[in-house]
Amino acid sequence: MAEARITYPPPRTAWDRYNPIRLIGEVSETRYWMYLLLLPSALLICAVVIYPTLYGMQMSFREMRLNRPDLGTDWVGLKHYARMLADPIFWVSLRNTAVWVTSAIALEFLIGLVAALALNRNLPGSKVLAVLILLPYFLPNVVAGHMWALMLDPRLGVINDVLVHLGWLAGYKAWFADPSTAMAAAIVVEAWHSFPFFTLLILAGLKGIPIDLYKAADIDGAGPFAQLRLITLPMLRTVIAAAVILRVIGLVNSPDLLLILTSGGPGRSTQVLSLYAFQTAYKDFNFGYAGALSVVMFILLMGFAWAYVRLSKVNED
Amino acid sequence: MTSRFDRRSVLKMGGGLLAASALLPRAAFAQSTAINYWHTFTSQSEFAGLDEVMKLFAAAHPEVAVTQENIPNPEFMAKVTAAVVSGSRPDVTMVSSERFADLLAMGALNDLTDKIAAWDRRSDFDDVRFASISKDGKVYGVPAFTFVDWMYYRKDWFDEAGLAPPTTYAEFRDAAIKLTDPAKGRFGFGMRGGAGGQAYVINVMEGFGAKLMHEDGSISLDRDKAIEAVDWWSGLLVKDGVVPPSAPNDGFRQIMEAFQTGQTAMLWHHTGSFQDNAKLLKAGVEFATAAIPAGPVNRVSRLGYAYNTATKPETIDASWEWIKFWGEPDAAVAFLEKTGYFPASTKAAQDERISGNPLYKPAADTLGFGIPSPSFPGFAGWSESVVLPAFQRVLIKEATPEQAVDEMIDGLNQAIA
Amino acid sequence: MATLSINSIRKSFGAVEVLNNIDIQLEDGGFLVLLGPSGCGKSTLLSIIAGLETSSGGDIVIGDRNVNDVHPKDRNIAMVFQSYALYPTMSVRRNIGFGLEMRKVDAREREAAVDRAADLLQIGHLLDRKPGQLSGGQRQRVAMGRAIVRNPELFLFDEPLSNLDAKLRVEMRTEIKRLHDRLGTTTVYVTHDQVEALTLGTQVAVMKAGVIQQLADPETIYTKPANMFVAGFIGSPTMNFLRGTLEAGAGGLQLRHAGGTLAMPGLEQDASTHLGREVVAGIRPESLHGGEAAAALTGIVDVVEPTGPDTMVVVKVGEQLLTARLGPKHRPRPGETLRLGVDAASINLFDPETENRI
Ligand SMILES: Nc1ncnc2c1ncn2[C@@H]1O[C@H](COP(=O)(O)OP(=O)(O)O)[C@@H](O)[C@H]1O
Ligand SMILES: [Mg+2]
Repeated sequence: MAEARITYPPPRTAWDRYNPIRLIGEVSETRYWMYLLLLPSALLICAVVIYPTLYGMQMSFREMRLNRPDLGTDWVGLKHYARMLADPIFWVSLRNTAVWVTSAIALEFLIGLVAALALNRNLPGSKVLAVLILLPYFLPNVVAGHMWALMLDPRLGVINDVLVHLGWLAGYKAWFADPSTAMAAAIVVEAWHSFPFFTLLILAGLKGIPIDLYKAADIDGAGPFAQLRLITLPMLRTVIAAAVILRVIGLVNSPDLLLILTSGGPGRSTQVLSLYAFQTAYKDFNFGYAGALSVVMFILLMGFAWAYVRLSKVNED
Repeated sequence: MTSRFDRRSVLKMGGGLLAASALLPRAAFAQSTAINYWHTFTSQSEFAGLDEVMKLFAAAHPEVAVTQENIPNPEFMAKVTAAVVSGSRPDVTMVSSERFADLLAMGALNDLTDKIAAWDRRSDFDDVRFASISKDGKVYGVPAFTFVDWMYYRKDWFDEAGLAPPTTYAEFRDAAIKLTDPAKGRFGFGMRGGAGGQAYVINVMEGFGAKLMHEDGSISLDRDKAIEAVDWWSGLLVKDGVVPPSAPNDGFRQIMEAFQTGQTAMLWHHTGSFQDNAKLLKAGVEFATAAIPAGPVNRVSRLGYAYNTATKPETIDASWEWIKFWGEPDAAVAFLEKTGYFPASTKAAQDERISGNPLYKPAADTLGFGIPSPSFPGFAGWSESVVLPAFQRVLIKEATPEQAVDEMIDGLNQAIA
Repeated sequence: MATLSINSIRKSFGAVEVLNNIDIQLEDGGFLVLLGPSGCGKSTLLSIIAGLETSSGGDIVIGDRNVNDVHPKDRNIAMVFQSYALYPTMSVRRNIGFGLEMRKVDAREREAAVDRAADLLQIGHLLDRKPGQLSGGQRQRVAMGRAIVRNPELFLFDEPLSNLDAKLRVEMRTEIKRLHDRLGTTTVYVTHDQVEALTLGTQVAVMKAGVIQQLADPETIYTKPANMFVAGFIGSPTMNFLRGTLEAGAGGLQLRHAGGTLAMPGLEQDASTHLGREVVAGIRPESLHGGEAAAALTGIVDVVEPTGPDTMVVVKVGEQLLTARLGPKHRPRPGETLRLGVDAASINLFDPETENRI
C-alpha cells in the first residue's frame, strides 16, 4: 500500500506551486487533512463555549460595574466571593433555588411519567392526546408565564373562580402576593410548562423497553406497580438521569418564569440565584458580582451532575 | 482518479467562483437611511400614538425610514446593555429620566448639545425639561413627552360619599378608609407593591422628608423619616386594610385592572394611562383626575420624561431628524390624543385641545410644582432590587419598617460606594 | 404436571382471523410442537395458552381447570421467549428467582431453588452477572432456568432457539430434550424449524394460516403427510412432486408421467379410486437411489450438489425437476442421462385438486 502514492501533474507555472487551492488539494491527501477538517468546529466550540465561560470567570475576579466607570476594572481577587459569603440574599436565593428546582422537577417528573405511561398504552386517540400534552412545552416561558399570571390573577383569574365555585376557597386568593403560596404557585406553573419534556423523553424510553419483559413479568406474577418499580423505572434510568440533569441545568439557569410571575417577591420569598445574578448584572450593572454568582451556580451544577451520575449509577452496565 | 468531480477539482471550482464573485458589480446603496428605534411602549393606545407619529414623520421625511422595536420594560436595560457591549446598538433609543445616569455612565449616549442649541424649536421648551438628560453642561436627548404623575379617582364614589379629592396624605388615607367596603369588593386605593412599586416608596419617603439627594451633592436616607414613611405607606395594607391584599404582587397591569373593573377608588399613575382608563370608565363622570396629594413635609409629584437619544454615532444625523420631530406640536398633540401623554414642549401644551379640557388641568398644574425623580448611577438598581423587596417584606409582615429601612440604607451605601 | 386441552380456540384481530377452530389434546408429560411458517398464528396460540392474549372463542383447559379467566400468573405455567425477555437491570440470580420473589417465597427457599435450577443448567458461575454480560447461549440457559425454577405444570417455548447460531441451536435442542426427559413437564413448543419439531415433539401440529393441517406424531407427519403443504414443509430438501396419470399396470398401480411410466410395486396406499385420473406422487429425495430397482425413473442430470455425506442431484424427468439424495460416491456429470431407482413403498399419492393425500 505504501507504494500506491497518488502522483500530481507537475506544476504548470511558477505561480501554480503556491496556488492555495492546489496546496489544499495536496494536503487533502495526507493524514493531517482529518485535523484540518476538525479545525473549524474546534474553533467554533472555543469561540462560543470556552471563551465566554472563561471570560465570565475572569469577570468574577474584577471590579466590573458598568455604570461606575470611575471605579475602573481592576483585579479584586476574591472580593466578590467574600461578599457572597456574607450576603444574606445569596443564601436566601440558594435555599430558594434548591426548593424551586427540587420541587418543580419532582412534580414535572411525576406528571411526565404518568402522561408517558398513559400515552404509551396506544389507546385510541392517544396520538391526538400526545400532541395536546406536548403543547405547553411549545409555549415560550414568557407566554406561559403571562398566561398563568392571568389565570392565577386575584381579580380576573379563572382558577380562583373555579376554586371558589367548588367551595375549596373562601375568597379570591392573591397567590403571588402571599409568601406561603407564591413559590408553590410558581412551581405548579413551571411543572405545567415543562412536564412534557419528561413525557417526551420517557415516552421515547418506554418505546425502547421490549414488550416481552412485561409478558414475562405477568407470568412471573409481578403486578402493575411491581412492573413499574422493578422493570420500567430501572430500564428508564439513563433516560431519566439525562432528563433530570438537562432540566436541572435549564431550571437553575433560567430566571424568566419567576421574573414574570414574581420578580423574586414578595419580599425575597421566590428569589433564586439565576434571578439574583440577572438583577445584579442588568439592574445593578455589577457584572463582577454577577459573574461570581454565575461561577458559583456553574460549580454547583457541575457538582450536582457529577453526584447524580454517581448516585444513579447510570454509568453501570 | 476516474471520477470527473474528485475532491481537488471541486475545491478548484469553488476557488474560481469566489474570484468571480469579487468582480460582480455591487448592489447600489439605498437612497434613504434606515434607522431603528427602540422604545418601551406596550399598551394599545401607546402603539396607536407611536403609529400616528411615524406616519406624520414618514410624510415629512421620506429620506429617513424608521423601523420601531418594542423592548418590554423589564428587559429593557438588559437588552440595551447587551447591545452597547456587543456593538449592535439601535440608532435611537427611548430613555426615561431614571435610566439616564446608568446609560450615560456606560457610554450608551451621544452628545446632542450643539444640535439642540441650533434647533429652531428649542425655545418651545422650558430649560428644566432638559435637566434630567444633561450632565456637566452636555445635553444627550430631547424630551418626547412628559410623564406627569397624577391621581385618578372614582368621581361617582367620591360624590356618593360626599368626599372631595384629597390634597394631603392625611386626607388621602381618610378617603381610602371611607371608600373601602369589603362587602362591595371595594378598596380605597390600588397600591403598586409589585413590579415598579419602588418609585412610590421613594416618593412617599421624600414626601415625609427623607430626601435622597441633598443640596451639597451627597446622597443618603434619613432613617427616622424613612421609617415613618414606610410605616404609613405599608400601613395602608397591614393596618388600615384599604388596599387589595394582592398588593405585594400588583404591578402596572394589576393596579390598572383593579381601577378599571371597579375594585379600587383611587389610582396613582401618570397621564399616559388616561385613554386606557377612559375606554372602560366614563371620563368626568365615573372617574376624574387630581394632583397627587402633598406629603407632610414635601409635595412630591414626579415629572418624568421620555427622552429620545442617539445611541449610534454613525447615524446621528438621520437620528436627529426623528428625535426632534417629536417636538413638533402636531406630532406631540397627535400623540397626546391617542395616549394621554403630555407634551414636553410648552408650545404644544398650550394647544387649545389641551388647555381647553378641564380633566387635563391637574396635569397642567403639576407641570408647575412637579419635580424630577432622583437620579444617580446605581439609583435604578438600588430602588428595584433593594427598596422594593425590602418594602414587600413589610407588606407581607416579614420585616418591620425599621428593618426594611436599614436594608435600604445598607443597599444604598453599597450602590454608591 | 398436567394435560392440556385446546378446545375450538378462535382468534381474530379485528376482521382478520388468525386462528380458526384449533383443537388439540396433549397428554400429561407430552411435548407438543406447533410448527408452521412465520405468521401462521403459532405465537398467538401460545399466548392464548399463557393467558397473555385473550381468545375470541373456545376453551383452554390445563389439568382439569378451565383457565379462560385465569390470570397468567395463576395458570402455573412458565414461558421462554424468543427474545429471552431477561430483565436487563437484574442479576441472573434475581432473574431466575423473580417469579418466586413475586410469589413471596422466602429468601432461603428461593436461593435453594435458584441454585438447583442453575446446577441443572450449568450456569451456577453466572448467577451474579447481568444479562448484558452473557452470550446468547448463556442467556438462553438463564431463560430456561427462570422457567424451570418454579416447577410449573406447563412449559411454553416460543421459538427459543431461533436467535442462536446453528451449532448452539443443535446443542440446546439436545439440552431441551434432555431436560424434558428428566423433568417430564408437559410442554408446548413453537418453532418454524421442522428438524426441531421432528426431534423434540411427541406430537406435532403443522399449521398454515391459522388452521391445523395435520396433528400427529413426528413419524406419521414425515411418512404420511396429510396434504401437499405438510409434505412440502417437512423434510429437506423438500419432497418431490411428480404429476402423472394413475394406471393399472402389471405389478399394481403405475404412474404415467411426461418422461415415461413409473411402476409402484409395494405401494401401501390404496388409490384405486383415482384410477385413470391425474394424481401427484410425492417422492422423498432419499427414496431415490442410484441402485437398480423394480421402479425406476430416467432423466437428465441438471445440477449436482455434493454436501459431504450426501450428493444432491437434480434430475430433469420429462419437464419436471426431481431432487435425489444419493451417496457421497455418486458424482454424475450434468447433462448425462441418469437412471434412478425408486423406493416405491414410501410414495405418497395426492389429489392435485384438493392437494390432500388420497
Ligand atoms: N396484536 C396484533 N394485532 C393484529 N394482528 C396481529 C397481532 N398479533 C399478531 N397478529 C397477526 O396474526 C398473525 C399470526 O401472528 P403470530 O401468531 O405472531 O405468527 P407466528 O408466531 O406464527 O409467526 C400474523 O399475521 C400477525 O400479523
Ligand atoms: Mg412467532
